[in-house]
Amino acid sequence: MARNKILKAALVLLVAAAASTGLLAQTPPAPPQTFSTTIYFDYSFNLTNDGAITGTDAAKALNNKFNFRRAYFTYENKISDYLKFRFRLDADNTGNLTSTSGSKDDKLRPFMKHLYLEWSPDWIQSKVNIGMIETLSFKLVEDRWGLRSVAKTLVDGYKDITGADIRQSSADIGVTWKGTLVKELRFALGVYNGEGYSHPELNKFKKFEGYLQLVPLAGLSIFAYTDYEQQVTTDGTNKYAKTYKIDGYFDMIENLNISGEWFTFNNDKNYDVVTNPDATQSQTHYNVSGWSVFATYKIQPEKFVVFARYDSYQPKSTVSSKDLSLIILGFDWYAWGANTRLQPNVWIYNYKDSSKKGDIVANLTFFMSF
Amino acid sequence: MTPKIMKWIAIAELTLAVVFTPVLVAQSRKMIQIKGSDTMINLVQILAEEYMGKNPLTPIAVLGGGSGTGVTAMINGTCDICNTSRDWKQKELDLAWEKGTRPRLFAIAVDGLSIVVHERNPLTKLTMPQVGAIYRGEVKNWKGVGGPDLKISLYGRQSNSGTYTFLQEQVLGNKPYSTDMKEMNGNAQIVEGVLADTGAIGYVGVGYVLDKTTGKPMKGLRVLDISRDDKSDAFSPLDKNAVDTGKYPIARPLWMATNGKPRPDLAAFLQWELGPEGQKIVEREGFYPIGAKYVELNAKNFK
Repeated sequence: MARNKILKAALVLLVAAAASTGLLAQTPPAPPQTFSTTIYFDYSFNLTNDGAITGTDAAKALNNKFNFRRAYFTYENKISDYLKFRFRLDADNTGNLTSTSGSKDDKLRPFMKHLYLEWSPDWIQSKVNIGMIETLSFKLVEDRWGLRSVAKTLVDGYKDITGADIRQSSADIGVTWKGTLVKELRFALGVYNGEGYSHPELNKFKKFEGYLQLVPLAGLSIFAYTDYEQQVTTDGTNKYAKTYKIDGYFDMIENLNISGEWFTFNNDKNYDVVTNPDATQSQTHYNVSGWSVFATYKIQPEKFVVFARYDSYQPKSTVSSKDLSLIILGFDWYAWGANTRLQPNVWIYNYKDSSKKGDIVANLTFFMSF
Repeated sequence: MTPKIMKWIAIAELTLAVVFTPVLVAQSRKMIQIKGSDTMINLVQILAEEYMGKNPLTPIAVLGGGSGTGVTAMINGTCDICNTSRDWKQKELDLAWEKGTRPRLFAIAVDGLSIVVHERNPLTKLTMPQVGAIYRGEVKNWKGVGGPDLKISLYGRQSNSGTYTFLQEQVLGNKPYSTDMKEMNGNAQIVEGVLADTGAIGYVGVGYVLDKTTGKPMKGLRVLDISRDDKSDAFSPLDKNAVDTGKYPIARPLWMATNGKPRPDLAAFLQWELGPEGQKIVEREGFYPIGAKYVELNAKNFK
């Protein structure tokens, strides 16, 4: 009994002492670290069953499905006013999540997407990123589109739609430097391995990127981008993969964005089947190109947005029958606040090749971010 | 694709647009959304409440989050008015230019940014260089600035706060804060921290140091006089004349911004805030009414 009283008295004294030194009254400091998760989840179903995509036996057997397309987990640490660290894990539908192999182990396995330091000195509003970083080619247009959960932008998604590898990746290992010379002129330069985030460096050559962004009027941007990387050859010749891209962003009317992008990709290797054992094309040189226009209109910001997009793909400049177009229509409804959005959308494919019938796929996309 | 399916898609899109658009447009026009500075949130909430009492058909929602959060919301088009307790940064103005946002600024009040310590700390004044040295972590004991032999506890805001930026630019010479500084969520939390910690120093808007019932500084809190340097006289942020005349060296305007010329409902609210009724509330809440310089600037931005 006496022991209990002593313990209680000690506890009271401890609390009083703590309170007198301010320990209990202090609000804990907000941590500079943040953790966040973003998930894109679809229910999709084919509205046609005789198109080039939807008419195959496999597509007919799987004409509707639930599908995680992306799950990100991001840790960020603001080390100081000038230094930030980011670590992002990504899991997409190549992570066996949608595998139909029937294997006992088709679990989702995340991979590293970003691992970088960002240094932001005051000088010309510079930002220097080092590590596994975001590349420069489609970040700005993706910001304008703002609907990555619905679809990748033209260059980002080109390989998914056409099968043509234009050697573009959203992340790579290297260094970028962005800056603002005057409010009308911004620039960025980057150097990477060139293999994206899926492979280690395979050769001694590095990929170089750069852009200039001209903003002559408030809300009007013109963006010119280029990249090149020398290719490995066995005959001693210098060959390059090059991309040229021009975008325009129109934000001059409140809540309306209209944007367009055009690009062309030249890969010297395409005409050298001998030195590129993977190539199946003829030795005729060809370019890959495409253009896209889209509009988003915020009927009520962070509540309801409608969008429409038209993409045109020319995956082989010497064979126009391979050309195709894609229309995406839908709306973005912030059903339960900014973190949970419903994005019903329809994809309509049309093919230049008259023997191919068009496809229509409807998706009910769920976007969640916490 | 068959014409039947195309027709089905068109009907579905049109139906959704017809159903949702009028409801959402009506909703969006009803509510004025204000976001930003935590220093201003209490003041603007009270102003909004008073205004709504007189104009019940104009609902107003006021949110904090810090000046930086408000600026981002304005650039992204998710608020109608953004509150900042500092000037817009160059990189924010550049981003606004890129995204087609044209901020127009209205000074609605003047704040004497107050440096506060625990009342048991006998110190009564500091110079701006001393405050800078303390917050940079160069002076760690009160003895170093003529105070008691007591370790200094730093209380401040997070980097999205306008007050954090203002003090960093005006007093710390744009150098980083000490990593020992406790980054609090708001002015009220800084005051709580200082009241509970005898070695504490904090910085808050002048409206947060007063006891609203007595109109005097809160019990347990000492508001320091501040001088520009060791050769200048020190003044209190509670001295209206010193703040008005710029003798108090860390006074600042509190800004509201609209995207372009304010639309009629926003203009009406701003005009009321800047008029006699609004400015009386500004004073009642411990801040200072705007002077002639800002009256002129505001008038220009209404046009």
